[in-house]
Amino acid sequence: MIPPLIGGLQKTTSHSVVLPFYIYASLGFLAGTTLLLFSTDALGASYFSPKMLAITHTMALAWGTMIIFGASHQLLPVLVESKLNSELLAYLTFVFAAVGIPFLIYGFYVFDLGWPVLVGALLINIAVCCYLGNVLGSFLRGNTKNVHAWYVLTATLWLLATTLFGLMLAVNFRLPILPRNSLEYLSVHAHLGIVGWFALTVVGVGARLIPLFMISKYTNDRTLWLIFVLLNSALAGFTMLALARTSPLLFYIPILLGLAAVLLFGRYCYMAYLVRIRKRLDAQVKTALISVVQLSLPLAVLIPAIALLPPGRFSGMAQLYGFCIFFGWLTAIILGMTFKTMPFIVWNKVYHNQAHKGKTPAPRELFSDRIYRLMMYCYLGGFAAFVPGIVLLNQVLLKTGAAALLITAALQVYNVLLTAGHKSKQA
Amino acid sequence: MNIKTNDTEKCAYALQDLYNVYDPEIGLNIVDLGLIYGLYFEEINVRIQCLMTLTTQFCPMGEAITTDTHDSLVRAFPGWEVIIKLTFEPPWDFSMISPEGKAYLGH
Repeated sequence: MIPPLIGGLQKTTSHSVVLPFYIYASLGFLAGTTLLLFSTDALGASYFSPKMLAITHTMALAWGTMIIFGASHQLLPVLVESKLNSELLAYLTFVFAAVGIPFLIYGFYVFDLGWPVLVGALLINIAVCCYLGNVLGSFLRGNTKNVHAWYVLTATLWLLATTLFGLMLAVNFRLPILPRNSLEYLSVHAHLGIVGWFALTVVGVGARLIPLFMISKYTNDRTLWLIFVLLNSALAGFTMLALARTSPLLFYIPILLGLAAVLLFGRYCYMAYLVRIRKRLDAQVKTALISVVQLSLPLAVLIPAIALLPPGRFSGMAQLYGFCIFFGWLTAIILGMTFKTMPFIVWNKVYHNQAHKGKTPAPRELFSDRIYRLMMYCYLGGFAAFVPGIVLLNQVLLKTGAAALLITAALQVYNVLLTAGHKSKQA
Repeated sequence: MNIKTNDTEKCAYALQDLYNVYDPEIGLNIVDLGLIYGLYFEEINVRIQCLMTLTTQFCPMGEAITTDTHDSLVRAFPGWEVIIKLTFEPPWDFSMISPEGKAYLGH
């Protein structure tokens, strides 16, 4: 029975909207690590290889983007203080993305840049438009236009720019519509996604959630606005420089802007950590804090790469850079936040109207903490082995690292399915 | 903890039950968390009005917490009508956590 209630209790997004994204993303991570294990021989060659393209898009779309889609449908109401604009749009986002992503990855893997890639890219763009409709609608009807909401909206616009540009690049392979070869635009396409979509989303949402989970009273909107300006300026600057084909030295400007943003975000999280009320942090929040440190790795790799390496060795550095982003920073924060958000969604589904009937398990008891810790050891070990593997092009290190990451993904799938399948243990 | 009431005796009795209502994320009871602003007892109408808040207006656990609060009060006062009034004025903040709550969180 719903209690007599006066006031502003707002309905949250239905679990049936959110959970498919989480399950799909965890399977996407499994697919990405499986591809990685069987593609270590492609490392060291050009980063524009079928296997590398397939792995990158699996990690960026099937893993990173799908889980962000899922979590943000749940978190948008918290960020903009309004209910989700449309659950139908959320379902459509899932359907179009879930169908489009395998087409795209298959097309890259078999290097058929014809209809599989075009169909995949088209469906993904439709999915992104549906998602944008939801973000924009929720933003406009929201009670507040706070800095976090601006981050999410801007990130979604950059995502649309990324996928539209990706579609144009796919068309350009067959029918020249751009002045140059598609390969020359890849770095722009990649950074629109990495900085515009992933970095803005992670900083915007992380700056709200990380203090919330630590019960920290620290908040500093000025710093967040400064990071917002720095990241957007860095991305706009990088894009213009890349399109204008200027001297590589000029790329230091956007890189330093990006580095400043990363350091400021690191400082923001550290300040929140210092004044937290919850002193004993759980493993998931610790994982999120590790990811903040990992965020500096790609920049630490890229700056020496531009300065020191001859053009022939840049390919390996580009792969290391990409690995640090997709398997490092992004994967770490997702591994942590998945088990900070998903158990609550399932808990709400199972126990929201029967909490009073007896003792209910805490949300964190809906998954296996032992498996989570094992997963994190595998992840950190795999990451630590793979990075020197790329630098030294050592197949033993690469295979060992990739195998550990595959085990990480399998354990993640196990815990996600365990959580999603949780049933009430009450009579 | 600064809970307003018109009947301190009944309020103390009600709080005994409300100490068993937890915020599932934080793992702390809603009294020490500072979510209860007021408990008003209307003898004539046999009605309890509980004025409370949530840590955020769109708290995903809001329904679970308010339902549990309502049912705890119904159990403590059989035959009384219980009305939960949600308010976000003033909004909840960390200073509302009791010293016991802060100690529980390791602060």
